[in-house]
Amino acid sequence: MTGATRMKGATRLICIVVLLALVLAPLGLPPFAMTLLTEAVILGLFAMSLDLMFGYTRLVSFGHAAAYGFGAYASGWLLLHTGMPLLFAVFAAGLLTGVLAIGIGWMCTLATGVSFSMLTLALAQLLYAISFKWTSVTGGSDGLAGIPRTIGPFGFAALSSKAGFYYLALGCLVGGFLVCFALVRSPFGAVLRGIRENESKTTALGYNTRLYKIAVVAISYGLGGLAGALYAPFAGFANTELLFWLLSGQVLIMVIVGGAGTLIGPVLGAAFFMLMEHQLSAWTEAWALYFGLIFIAFVLFAPEGIWGLATRLRRAHPRP
Amino acid sequence: MSTFGLLLSQFADALSQSALLFFLGVGLTLIFGLMRIVNFAHGALYMLGAFVGYSLAHWSGNYWVALAGAPMLVGLFGVAFEFSILRRLYRRDAHAFLMVTFGLALVLGEAVRLTWGSDALKVAAPPALSGVIFLLDEPFPVYRLFLAATGIVVAVAIWQFLERSRLGLLIRATSQNAEMANALGVDIKLIRSCVFGIGCGLAALGGVLAAPLVTASNGMAATVIIDAFVIVIIGGMGSFLGSLIGALLIGFVQVFGNYYAPDFALAFMYLVMLVVLVVRPGGLLGKEA
Repeated sequence: MTGATRMKGATRLICIVVLLALVLAPLGLPPFAMTLLTEAVILGLFAMSLDLMFGYTRLVSFGHAAAYGFGAYASGWLLLHTGMPLLFAVFAAGLLTGVLAIGIGWMCTLATGVSFSMLTLALAQLLYAISFKWTSVTGGSDGLAGIPRTIGPFGFAALSSKAGFYYLALGCLVGGFLVCFALVRSPFGAVLRGIRENESKTTALGYNTRLYKIAVVAISYGLGGLAGALYAPFAGFANTELLFWLLSGQVLIMVIVGGAGTLIGPVLGAAFFMLMEHQLSAWTEAWALYFGLIFIAFVLFAPEGIWGLATRLRRAHPRP
Repeated sequence: MSTFGLLLSQFADALSQSALLFFLGVGLTLIFGLMRIVNFAHGALYMLGAFVGYSLAHWSGNYWVALAGAPMLVGLFGVAFEFSILRRLYRRDAHAFLMVTFGLALVLGEAVRLTWGSDALKVAAPPALSGVIFLLDEPFPVYRLFLAATGIVVAVAIWQFLERSRLGLLIRATSQNAEMANALGVDIKLIRSCVFGIGCGLAALGGVLAAPLVTASNGMAATVIIDAFVIVIIGGMGSFLGSLIGALLIGFVQVFGNYYAPDFALAFMYLVMLVVLVVRPGGLLGKEA
């Protein structure tokens, strides 16, 4: 059993230190770095949500952008047209995505394996096509622009500032992590791992695996939707690119690069992805070339991802 | 202008579109059938074919040289990639391939941009094919008819190759049961290299054939890969006949959809895919449920 299912003392210490650093970050970092960090936190939540499906249940979603994009459009629309305060809009959008995902989960779990992946892809592309054409709601190819961070009546004014929004995103990431962590350690999580290792055996043990799979799809998409819902007011816009399959591919890579089935790994993967993209694009125009080479090198030399690599290094060099 | 003439020209148009899609889909499905690899780089290889074709046509002044040369060069590149990288991964999880081919797609996309620049490049069709022909008083580009004909010829050729030739037999045997084929003395490593090369070559053939129609551009990879996926999924991953049916279905949906309901054309393609998958989760001719 890998990773976060049982946290070791050292791991817990590192996590606390990192979390503390993240909480204190707005005090020391320049505004530009804060923007990057906020985006990394949002993407981290997105990647973590996929890990629940990919890492723990081996349900490979090829269309996770559907969750992100739908969440972004939903929160963007709510903020633009209903005057709903930021906090409510974000959570409502996450919830809406989760509810929608019950339908998606029901449909996709008709199939298994590669066909499951392809169904998630088909549904995501369908949403993409709709977002292009349903101009009155989605703004078509322009997307939704000028999404405000509406301050609610209860005085959450601080959330709309740069640092405040960062804390909102960080809170969602930590909250999301705690939910996922509790989930994978619960009996529910044990069934998910059973599905991952051997679905027919799990069915034979008397579990209705289809219901479990639909549930995990709904939770995973809900959290992914929450990440998207944060992105819209963060960036101030939502466009069709957030629903495009390329994002689905990228988030899958983040999970794999970080280390699937560890929850924290994918967050690191997302941060790594962001950092690489940013550093390489500042350094060379041909960043995608090096980016691609790094992926290939990862597969060849570090198949368990960043988190797995770190664990392996620690085992190889135990402290005296 | 007769309605029938219009329909006929649309029919020919859809057929030529299907041919292009078929070149992509059949390579993808052959590779999947044999190695269980979902090749994310297929769109990039299609693009590479178009650009290599541009250079060959430019250098030799002859489109036919490009048409023959580009698929071969890209095919050789595919063999080299399989030999140097993919070969190390067959014992690993399927997602290793996903990442490697995604990485390859990024590398190729950027390499193409560095080599040929960001501008779309025009590849001229040969003079014999650049005119217009009248189908029942309806003007129709000769080049598209040529495409449709090439599609039919290539489809028949691949079918005959798979069914009649020795290599085709070994490919089918390896797809069905690689371990058994290996035990019977088939060099499955060689078969895999060959098939990956053939798949890449077919993608490049699609690219070089598409170049005179759509110009060779950096963006052509991203749009086309998803079409190729849709075709293969509809037909059933790994099924040759399935990829042919999928290509025809999507070609016709695209062309007729664009003409009669342009607002819904894009959604229509995914709806077809969705309906097929819900009814038959493994695709029309796929084996797995």
